[in-house]
Amino acid sequence: MFKKIQEWFDERIGLTELINEFNGERIPARGGWAYTFGSLLAFLFIIQVVTGMFLLFYYVPYFPMARNSTYFLKHHVLMGNIVLGIHLWGAFTMIFILLVHMSRVYFSGSYKKPREMQWVAGMVLFSVVVILGLTGYMLVGNENSWWTINVLDNVASHVPLIGGFIRILVKGGTETSVLTMQHIFAIHVWLLPIVVIMFIPIHIFLVRKTGEQGMALEYKNSKLPDDDVNKWKHADATVPFFPDQLFKDMIVALGVFAVIYFLAVYYGAAIGPMYRPLALNFAPEADWYFLANEELLKYFPGHGLIIFSTFLVPSLGFAILFALPFIDRGHERSPFKRPAATVLGILFLLLLVYLTLIGGEPKAPATV
Amino acid sequence: MTKSSEDSPSRRTFMTVVIGLISAVIGVAVAIPILGEILSPLFKKRDIVWAELGKIDDLKKIEPLTPKFVPVYFRVKEGWTINTLPRQVVVVKDITGKLYFFSNQCTHLGCPLHWIAARQKFLCPCHGGMFNVLGKVVGGPPPRPLYQWVHKVNSGKVLIQNKFIDNPKDRGI
Ligand code: FES
Repeated sequence: MFKKIQEWFDERIGLTELINEFNGERIPARGGWAYTFGSLLAFLFIIQVVTGMFLLFYYVPYFPMARNSTYFLKHHVLMGNIVLGIHLWGAFTMIFILLVHMSRVYFSGSYKKPREMQWVAGMVLFSVVVILGLTGYMLVGNENSWWTINVLDNVASHVPLIGGFIRILVKGGTETSVLTMQHIFAIHVWLLPIVVIMFIPIHIFLVRKTGEQGMALEYKNSKLPDDDVNKWKHADATVPFFPDQLFKDMIVALGVFAVIYFLAVYYGAAIGPMYRPLALNFAPEADWYFLANEELLKYFPGHGLIIFSTFLVPSLGFAILFALPFIDRGHERSPFKRPAATVLGILFLLLLVYLTLIGGEPKAPATV
Repeated sequence: MTKSSEDSPSRRTFMTVVIGLISAVIGVAVAIPILGEILSPLFKKRDIVWAELGKIDDLKKIEPLTPKFVPVYFRVKEGWTINTLPRQVVVVKDITGKLYFFSNQCTHLGCPLHWIAARQKFLCPCHGGMFNVLGKVVGGPPPRPLYQWVHKVNSGKVLIQNKFIDNPKDRGI
């Protein structure tokens, strides 16, 4: 029966060949588990798209109503809390796994020639996902959303020359109001997801194009020097993507999804109080992945320095990350053979963790 | 008969150029109105209105150097709606009896300030900005003293405009 169906399709569109082409890619064998983060991210993104689509059945992007429609979705829609919870915890997980994936690629030198463009495509995805997180935070329409919109608009207004315009454009007007929410909504549910949907295939296509290029430990038997491009094309052992690698991918996906599901059902998504521009004792808080940046804002006081924390340091950091494969052009890939890069990477991660931890400390001044 | 591009290289060039031109024309024709739509907010003026704060005689009676938070409600046009923007006006009387009308938004990035009576200071919960009761920065990252609302007194009533004095970039609000 199946054979017949398969033959019917093969005759017309060569289905079997197509499937073999997709599934047959050979993956270096030793690093198996370390290569699962990429597909995990694709999986998480699909979860976000699916849950997000169905949140739209109830959500209203209108400032006074946004928070109440989210509240309704959580408390009065059958299992709405689970869908909302998966969307929130899935987003957090996605950002976290992105950092893990990037660290893995960084420390194993996998961004080096010929994979430069792949790193750049990945950085586009990273930037977009972070903005997706921020805009999602704003869409809830609660007190934190309101202040986040205002604070980030003010940050944007510090871009030299065009800052004021940028602020008005992202707000969609001069006040934080209906048009602001509408713009953020359009960006969060349509514009940025489309960018992600375009760049994931590019990212994957480039992987196929450049071939295996695994971590240094895949090439122990190779006699070739590190700067020989041929060395990185022939790992000591490889396995086919299907089923060997996908098997590992799916196990990881299941494990991570189970955690997300548990968090969604058990903790759910906190919605928080309605925004009150008149609040006298409210301390706005950023999401955890933004705390490091938030902490940075404290260290540049006064009129002359404010541009460092709002514009120069973040954009320089991003520029360096984007250009990483063009800055670090050495041929060594093993983290042990390029100590400078490894130590810098570790220091950067430690700084990130440190800033996040102290940025997360309660900031509301004690009301004595 | 039209020749195929394989017969003549110049034919090939011609076709390539036409394909490019058609794409460019369509692209530009779509991009221009979209750009207009995106940039449209830049051409809208902010709706500036007056809102009533209270009687000047009542405000004059407040304790000196003790801020009083009074809400105002601006009715402004925004998009297709008329919205009420509730905002805090921090009224402060100095020792000479002069009244100040501050905004409660931090001049750093706009978080809502807390008045800490015991320390006689406004503290910002976001990045630790500090202002004294007369709006001067006394600590933290804020680049300038507190914003002051544009205001006027009209037949005994204080009117507040949704605009800050000396704020060329319209930050805050
Ligand atoms: S917003 Fe007040 S210190 Fe940054």
